[in-house]
Amino acid sequence: MVDFRLEPAKDLGLTHRQRTLSLNREAGLIETGLHMGWWGFMRTYLRLYHRMRVEGRSHLPAKPPFVLIANHASHLDALAMAAPLPWRHRDCIFPLAAGDVFFETPVLATFAMACINALPVWRNNCGRHALGELRKRLVEQPCIYILFPEGRRSEDGSLLEFKAGLGMMVAETGVPVVPCWLGGAHEAWARDAIVPRPRKIVMRIGEPLDFAGIRNRREGWSKIADRARAAVVALAGDQSEGASRITGR
Amino acid sequence: MNPVVRERLFGVHSAFDHPVVLGVVVAAAAALLIAPLAVWLLARAGRLAPETRRELYLRIFTWALLMPLLLGPILLGAAWVILGVLALSLLCYREYARLTGLFREKMMSLVVVVGIVLVSFAIFDHWYGFFAALAPLGVATIAAVGLLGDRPQGYIQRLALAVLAFALFGIGLGHLAYFANDTNYRAILVLLLVAVALNDVFAYLSGKTIGGPRLCPHTSPNKTIGGAVGALVLTTALVCLLGRLVFADQPMGQWHHLLALGLLISVAGQFGDLMLSAVKRDIGVKDIGHTLPGHGGLLDRFDSLLLVAPTVYHYVGYIQGVGLDQPTNLFTEAAAWATSLISP
Repeated sequence: MVDFRLEPAKDLGLTHRQRTLSLNREAGLIETGLHMGWWGFMRTYLRLYHRMRVEGRSHLPAKPPFVLIANHASHLDALAMAAPLPWRHRDCIFPLAAGDVFFETPVLATFAMACINALPVWRNNCGRHALGELRKRLVEQPCIYILFPEGRRSEDGSLLEFKAGLGMMVAETGVPVVPCWLGGAHEAWARDAIVPRPRKIVMRIGEPLDFAGIRNRREGWSKIADRARAAVVALAGDQSEGASRITGR
Repeated sequence: MNPVVRERLFGVHSAFDHPVVLGVVVAAAAALLIAPLAVWLLARAGRLAPETRRELYLRIFTWALLMPLLLGPILLGAAWVILGVLALSLLCYREYARLTGLFREKMMSLVVVVGIVLVSFAIFDHWYGFFAALAPLGVATIAAVGLLGDRPQGYIQRLALAVLAFALFGIGLGHLAYFANDTNYRAILVLLLVAVALNDVFAYLSGKTIGGPRLCPHTSPNKTIGGAVGALVLTTALVCLLGRLVFADQPMGQWHHLLALGLLISVAGQFGDLMLSAVKRDIGVKDIGHTLPGHGGLLDRFDSLLLVAPTVYHYVGYIQGVGLDQPTNLFTEAAAWATSLISP
């Protein structure tokens, strides 16, 4: 564990709006309470309403920082991935969420900050700078990022190509990347549905991947994207509903 | 509820009974009306740079917001004073925790917040024994909770920051709220607020006019010895004059006690100011935030009060006592009575 740092909050002096958008946001006592409560509530909800099952929990690293990645076909995905994490990690979970969906209106942005602790990623112009900040934070502080390397929600539940952003964040760092497969989330809450349906959700957690040895440049990023995608596909297995669509890529 | 207590806690109709309260409220309202007019006239005469003018307007605007928030609870009743100070303590602690990084220690932060709330309860209850006990008990709890993470590295820093926070915002500001248990709380609190606020102004003005060698250039380069002495003289004079009315026919109303009170307020206020400067300089932060436009953070505004409140409380307490003629243990008495029903 780190020693105490006599160092002001990284978001000191920002206005409320600036703070919701800041990638260096640090939670205060009230927000920590809200995060704890929110993830506890989500865990109960997923267990009862979606009868969620988690396989391979032992693959989760014992301590942050690490990155959880998965296929993305539903708004439930990030919620489902965060819920099984142990409660002592609940305050350092940061789902990376689409800025244009979650951070455009102040009310939704406040919710995304206060409850989900989401960090905004702007898809159209997510510059090197923003990714650099996320990378710096991941290395310096105990964080758990939840992100979807496909960069958007798949419309039919099939696995899209992985983007380079993941590689730009973790190449050369040695921060473990944990591949996950989410089954049933698309059926539970598809893109066009208004409310979630009580479908069963299964989450499979794979062995962590280490990209410390991969160079932080273009070839390295695509190598990381390929390896991460292969790991997620392998977790999907044969029984999975999406498997045929994936293997027929 | 005892009618005496109800009158003190919620008696709005007696808000302006004391001439000092009425006078200060009228003077404050007048100042808020005249100040923008004066700035406007000066600006029209071309004596103010646009930048200075904007800065002055901003400061007046903030005072216009702050003044009702400070005087409002005092006029409404003692209950609102205690709640208001509780809110102030929590907001100040929030700023302090974010400034020093203590907010990352969630458990210790929680202990400090709970401690501040308990202090408020002890004050509301008018239970001085518990209020006094919370200081050592708070330190003990913080020291114990700090051990829970099993991380000895940085233990002293975390512990010291949390204990200081509880001492300043829990116990220190708590003494301000404890005055609310005195029958004469409105006049005493108004005197304190006016003296502390004007102490800053006096220091600024006499620093500008007298100047002289700098007071402690490494901590706060803009303060001069002239400013400090000027504030000392002017604040003491002000406290003597107002105090004569506030403490009329009471032991504190004697000139020598008022003289000592004025000196204590001015010295403690200036030390409080310097304390925050030293904290900011140590951490390397220039601005705490912009909670109050034109003033910076809340702490920048209330730093002097942190040291003044306990100093004044114990001086007044030693000379004549605080809230001695008011009923004590408002809630705990009822709890004791309820338990006596159960146990034989």
